[in-house]
Amino acid sequence: MAAHNLSAVLKAHGNAVKLLRNSKIGMYVYPVVAAEFSNWRNEQVAWRKSAVLFDQTHHMDELIVEGPDAAAFLEHVAINSFANFDLNRAKHFVPVTPAGHVIGDMIIFREREDKFVLVGRAPTANWVKFQQATAKWNVRLTHDPRSDSRPDGRAIYRTHYRFQIQGPEANKIFDKINGGPVPDVKFFHVDWIKIGSRRVQALRHGMAGAPGLEVWGPYADKHYIQSTILEAAREVGVDLHLVGTRAYSTNTLESGWIPSPLPAIYTGGGMLQEYRDWLGADSYEAIGSIGGSLATDDIEEYYVNPFELGYGFYIGWKTDFIGKDALTKLKDANNRKKVTLEWNRDDLLKVVASSFEEGVPYKWIDFPQPNYASTNADVLLSGNKPAGISMFNGYSFNERCMLSLAVVNDDVQIGDQLTLVWGEPQTTGKTSTEPHRQAEIRVRVSPTPYAREARESYAASWRTKGG
Amino acid sequence: MSHQNLEEALKAAKNPVEMLRNSQIGPYAFPVVPSEFTNWRDEQRSWRETCALFDQSHHMTDLYVEGPDALKVFSALGINTFNNFRVDTAKQFVACNHDGYVIGDAILFHLAPNSFVLVGRPPALNWVQYNVETGGYNARAERDERSFVNTGTRRVYRYQVQGPNAKKVMEKVTGKPVPDIKFFHMDTFDIAGCKVRALRHGMVGQPGWEIFGPRADGDRVRDAIVEAGREFGIRKVGARTYPTSTLESGWIPSPLPAVYTGERTKPYREWLKGTSYEATASLGGSFVAKNIESYYLTPYDLGYGGFVRFDHDFVGRAALEKIAKKPKRQKVTLVWNGDDVDKVFSRLFHAGKFSKYIDLPLANYATLSFDKVVKGGKPIGFSMYTGYSFNERSMLSLAVVDVKHAKPGTKVAVVWGEDGGGTKKPTVERHNQATIRATVQPAPYGETARTAYRPK
Repeated sequence: MAAHNLSAVLKAHGNAVKLLRNSKIGMYVYPVVAAEFSNWRNEQVAWRKSAVLFDQTHHMDELIVEGPDAAAFLEHVAINSFANFDLNRAKHFVPVTPAGHVIGDMIIFREREDKFVLVGRAPTANWVKFQQATAKWNVRLTHDPRSDSRPDGRAIYRTHYRFQIQGPEANKIFDKINGGPVPDVKFFHVDWIKIGSRRVQALRHGMAGAPGLEVWGPYADKHYIQSTILEAAREVGVDLHLVGTRAYSTNTLESGWIPSPLPAIYTGGGMLQEYRDWLGADSYEAIGSIGGSLATDDIEEYYVNPFELGYGFYIGWKTDFIGKDALTKLKDANNRKKVTLEWNRDDLLKVVASSFEEGVPYKWIDFPQPNYASTNADVLLSGNKPAGISMFNGYSFNERCMLSLAVVNDDVQIGDQLTLVWGEPQTTGKTSTEPHRQAEIRVRVSPTPYAREARESYAASWRTKGG
Repeated sequence: MSHQNLEEALKAAKNPVEMLRNSQIGPYAFPVVPSEFTNWRDEQRSWRETCALFDQSHHMTDLYVEGPDALKVFSALGINTFNNFRVDTAKQFVACNHDGYVIGDAILFHLAPNSFVLVGRPPALNWVQYNVETGGYNARAERDERSFVNTGTRRVYRYQVQGPNAKKVMEKVTGKPVPDIKFFHMDTFDIAGCKVRALRHGMVGQPGWEIFGPRADGDRVRDAIVEAGREFGIRKVGARTYPTSTLESGWIPSPLPAVYTGERTKPYREWLKGTSYEATASLGGSFVAKNIESYYLTPYDLGYGGFVRFDHDFVGRAALEKIAKKPKRQKVTLVWNGDDVDKVFSRLFHAGKFSKYIDLPLANYATLSFDKVVKGGKPIGFSMYTGYSFNERSMLSLAVVDVKHAKPGTKVAVVWGEDGGGTKKPTVERHNQATIRATVQPAPYGETARTAYRPK
């Protein structure tokens, strides 16, 4: 009989690492949106120099949580404090396991006193659904999973469209589409603006470190909204670039958010055992992939805690939430920390050059996005000693540099040189990897966020302060 | 912005070359099919080592031509012979203008008596449709647009099964030995309870099949092939990989349609819409000429000299009879120097001067690519289709060069990137040109293609 839940899948494979490192799911796909609208170099330049339009309609799950207990329920599930969670605000919602490991993260919007919308990767949505299903909260959920990764010509429907307009010249477009200055809302606050004839909700955002808005509304309006924005940009003379999926995922290298922690749910008894029984055999957790040079039998080596990802300051210590006891203990431990790594160009070129030579090449580095799994974990060494894990890669044309986001030991300093082991030690069953050999790439430890604009002019962002 | 027809668009533009070089349309689209199913390196290996499944359902336009005069139309336009063009066979149809320059090529299937379908990029199809509609023939033409511009669904699915294990896969999925039909002959198979038409093909130089049938059967037929092919290492080939297969098999998909000049094709330019391929195509690369005719190519240049038969009257015949006596150019494969390619990549990591990015595996950034090929600093031809072959561990391009420089082993160079920092095409970032050494080799380059399997 086919496995019907994650527990059965794990049992059949013997080991979670083995399961995920041999997943057949392929690359992590950003679906439906075109790969490139102009070209990925110019699309990257646009978010730094003019303005971009990100189409985020398809790659994230959306979960609506509503009901009298909605706030109390969500506050129990996530580490965040809801104390200052006023209406029309958004937060970066992070749940952890009872052991204090990160399950995932989503952006959460408070639309009403009793209604929240969560947007992000599946693991957090799944965990919230499980918590609602197994306890007596008076809440109702509506889950709209992300679009099919490979729709192959079939029509795609979502509940909402979702766009971001970002970049130093984005403001000019906002005023045009709104028919007047947009309200001066604070970062991660929501207000209503006009786009042509539609009234839409808009979140003040700044994914690339420059001011921006995220707007959403009924999927049926998508085309109208997009064409109105593009037309407005033309009228005010802003070189607005639609960003394709190849460039899109590299945006976070400059802004410093790690999108892909492994949901830390493969071990642990009690609630976690129940969760694995509850999770389907076709869930993200069961079919996702791990890629990279970190190959160990212990799945827990892939887990991270909120302090390591830079989310420690989100924690609402005054409330009771799942994982609080564990985090209380972890709080003053020597936690690893998030950094950006600059890859050495000579070492990179050695990898590229191997594609033009006979023999087994190094693992191909795809530009601008070299990731080849749902969760990436590459070994970092300081000398011969493990120094951390590199978790998300991407080339920045703006910086003329390959970058990755990593968690490193707390004694690693900005400016240190580490070695990143690129490629897998032995062939796995993943379909996204060709036969290859491993390369050592020198990397220099740099701050997160890496982009100077993101780091300096936008210091008061949710990534650095107040969640 | 948009013009009624090509003639008007050309009048509004200063020069056809300028118009096309600054087109905003981007490269030729390979839509709908996912960019990678697995990874493009292994997808490329599959057609050389195991078996590849190409999904060609979306990127080509189909033109159905039916009626008592249908064959007459093709015969009046095609350089090919149509003697013995029987039902259940196909041929690579090539049409030229009155001066013997190629308008386009496409695969012509003889489906049933007086019933044909022409499949390919639009230029050859547009020319045929125009002639059907205006030539007083007792025939009708019906288009099924490629998905890039199709507002509904396609009429048929179209797959290819290619590679050394293709035969085994076909035998498994049809449950019987495959009939020993000749290259470019068709048969009917049963796959998963669906009737499919199968053309014996060999796009990457190995025996293979192109199969097609009603769109509604598409998923079922594909799934059955994938299932049957599992034990033979079949891989679905994504849109990033698919167009690179031709680098090993040697077909140039993108001649510039020779329709922009000449009084005799003026009515055709007035018939071609302002949104047509011809009016919107983008022209990219280092070769720049003021006169659009400098981009025109003869069938001999493109390696179609063997198709030309003066056994019938066709548009361009008189001109080709002259050209046939002394063809000037020849199709070759250029193998790019790895060190020079490395240098282009190194520009990714330096502030300032940037070389035009070489996207792997397909490096084209226009509908029509024309890069200058030089020898000793002097132009000797064009490089027209560029990409990387993991099988050959090399950048390859298909080129048309002067006959005297076409000998295998000849050292030449390709000028990569556009002059003046680049045109206004959206696919072009500001860049400097790079000179890349290359070695002339035969086309097709793929070893198997070259020695064992040469389509006629």
